[in-house]
Amino acid sequence: MDLVNFARGPALKAAFIFFFLGVAWRLINVLLLMHRRDLSEPRRSMASSLLGGLKAIGSRSWPHPEFIPRTGAGEALGYSYHIGLFLVILFFAPHVAFFGSFVGLHWPTLPNSVTTIISVITFTLLLAVLFRRVTHRVLRRLSNFDDYFSWFVVTLVIVTGLMATAHVGGPYPTVLGLHILSFDLLLVWFPLGKLMHAFYLFPTRAIDGYLLTRRGAPS
Amino acid sequence: MSRSDPQPTIGELLDRNGVSRRAFVKYCTAMASVLALPPLAGRAMAEQLRAARRPSVIYLSFQECTGCLESLTRSFAPTIESLLFNVISLDYDDTLMAAAGQQAEEARAQAMKANYGKYLLVVDGSVPTGEGGVYDCAAGRSALDILTDCARGAAAIVCVGTCSSFGGIPFANPNPTGARAVSDIIRDKPIVNVSGCPPIAEVITGTLLQYVTLGRVPELDAHLRPTVFFGNSIHDRCYRRPFYDRGQFAKSFDDEGARSGWCLYELGCKGPTTYNACATVKWNGGVSFPIESGHPCLGCAEPDFWDGGSFYSPIPTPRWGKAGEVRPAQAAELAVGAAVAGAVIGAGSVLLAGRRTRHLQGPEQDSHEKKEE
Amino acid sequence: MSPGSPLARIPVRVEQRPAAAATGTIGGGVAAILTEIATLLERLAATGESAAIDLRSLPMSPSDRERLTQALGRGEIDIVLHADGDSSIRETGVQGVWWTEYRDCDGEVLAAFIEITRVPEILIVPVGELTRGAVQLREMARTAAAPQGESTRVTI
Repeated sequence: MDLVNFARGPALKAAFIFFFLGVAWRLINVLLLMHRRDLSEPRRSMASSLLGGLKAIGSRSWPHPEFIPRTGAGEALGYSYHIGLFLVILFFAPHVAFFGSFVGLHWPTLPNSVTTIISVITFTLLLAVLFRRVTHRVLRRLSNFDDYFSWFVVTLVIVTGLMATAHVGGPYPTVLGLHILSFDLLLVWFPLGKLMHAFYLFPTRAIDGYLLTRRGAPS
Repeated sequence: MSRSDPQPTIGELLDRNGVSRRAFVKYCTAMASVLALPPLAGRAMAEQLRAARRPSVIYLSFQECTGCLESLTRSFAPTIESLLFNVISLDYDDTLMAAAGQQAEEARAQAMKANYGKYLLVVDGSVPTGEGGVYDCAAGRSALDILTDCARGAAAIVCVGTCSSFGGIPFANPNPTGARAVSDIIRDKPIVNVSGCPPIAEVITGTLLQYVTLGRVPELDAHLRPTVFFGNSIHDRCYRRPFYDRGQFAKSFDDEGARSGWCLYELGCKGPTTYNACATVKWNGGVSFPIESGHPCLGCAEPDFWDGGSFYSPIPTPRWGKAGEVRPAQAAELAVGAAVAGAVIGAGSVLLAGRRTRHLQGPEQDSHEKKEE
Repeated sequence: MSPGSPLARIPVRVEQRPAAAATGTIGGGVAAILTEIATLLERLAATGESAAIDLRSLPMSPSDRERLTQALGRGEIDIVLHADGDSSIRETGVQGVWWTEYRDCDGEVLAAFIEITRVPEILIVPVGELTRGAVQLREMARTAAAPQGESTRVTI
């Protein structure tokens, strides 16, 4: 079986299964372990606390004004490449064909020239992010394998994708196969490392917000 | 069909058949254009060919639909036939030759003997190997047997069509006859694969002409196909490429996009992963090719094109289902199943962790509170 | 096709090709080809080396083709080659630049190219043909001169 058919066949199936299995496992794990009865006196009603939980998902999307001078740059950098990633992943025509076939839907696409520019910008931002992590006197001491490998896995998908679109680095079917294979790797790594923040951030913000609102300190 | 030495040169034969020198230069110039050579190379090609002697060609047909031979001989321009059959000596072809039966087989044996080590073997159709090869027999011998025998004295083997090059349609799942490509059976001879279902007529002729002119096998890619014809993908040379780049795709047959001639990527075009000359040389004497006629490329010049999933689902579509594809219901089932399994494992591990903690701490303390510290 | 059939329900749209815009300037693609021809002509003058540009390999729109033909114009020489169909070799308005089209007996164009040369290659007779012709003529003359009881008029 050639590379492309392997990458989008058995490899993709295995990665797909592992992804859902792993994500469910880790989500359930953390959510069940986090369960603790709050014995303090509720300062707000249940409805208000629940609303506070939902609000926290949004309010924690940007730091409080006092912290912006220190963390603003990092936040902006993070948002930029996340937006870039989502735009390319969700609106590049072959991706729409790929993801669309899983859900049986189809949605509008962006022209190739636009997605290529966004991809290049995103890749540059990812390089900037790595540079920051390696040079920042605190970050580099805190960083571990998970940080670097998660960065590597995401960047690999973008780089192979750009190579495939530009038709460089070898015959197109081979490069395309590598791109799909690197996506399979991403799927497998996803539940194992910090990429899980994509699923964690919503329940954790919500639970935190609920608890804090219940105690009278909505954030 | 026996030849007495010395054999006439191609030039002498052309003169005998009333094909003038200039007419031959004309045809060679046309072929040079197809081979992406400069036009004046046609004259050099004509001179070289005229001075050469026609190679003997044995054409064997196995598990094939005869489409490849039809492509070659039903070409619009009769000039291709006359050009080719003036340049090669087709000593055996069971579809085209007038002789039949024992006489035909004897003619083949004689041609092979007289030209041992020098004749060109052209094969179309795959070779069944199941049950000792009984699924394709001629003159009381299996195709496998005939091929092995004829390959022994061949200078080179040209596989015409995807069936002989890669197994093709008979090779498709479940391959009940055990069909194999020629290159899977013969390992000790130079092989040229001219794939396509069928290949373009000019590509077949051009390759044979290249062989006769060069006197050896031309430059080949990883699949043993001549790079001059199979070096570019359809996508690289497709005239609808600007639409692909701009993101203008036909969403269904006969919709506005299809009528405006937009890219057929979303309708399943395999152009990006298919290498052939369809977009430049085109079909029926340069009239059109599938994409120009509004149908996505099937990828027929590539191995396993038949089993590579539906012709109408785009390249990025996952291919792990039984029919080579995944449907939303299947994917959802798998995802939910995996998630449930994951949730069970997750819950189980929490229980185990809880039980272990309680066991370590003793029954009277609140294990969760303890865990917080 | 009956009115109720599925085919009849497909709307027919007639596309009107817009009249070719009359512009005073030549398109970029044509200008590039003309520059190339000029370079090849200079090379021919300096070294005597002929060249050809395959028109089939150039992706040109029909309007570009039209503009190229007009730009080059027609010269003084028009050659028709009767060899398994009629092919044409025309001198363009620029001497040394020939527009050649080889056709088969059905009139289908086999090859089309612009040749930059002093005399089109296909017109030049190889030496072998010259000597063969001489042998042929001598044979003809010998047969005609031999007494056979017939008129000694030689018809060539």
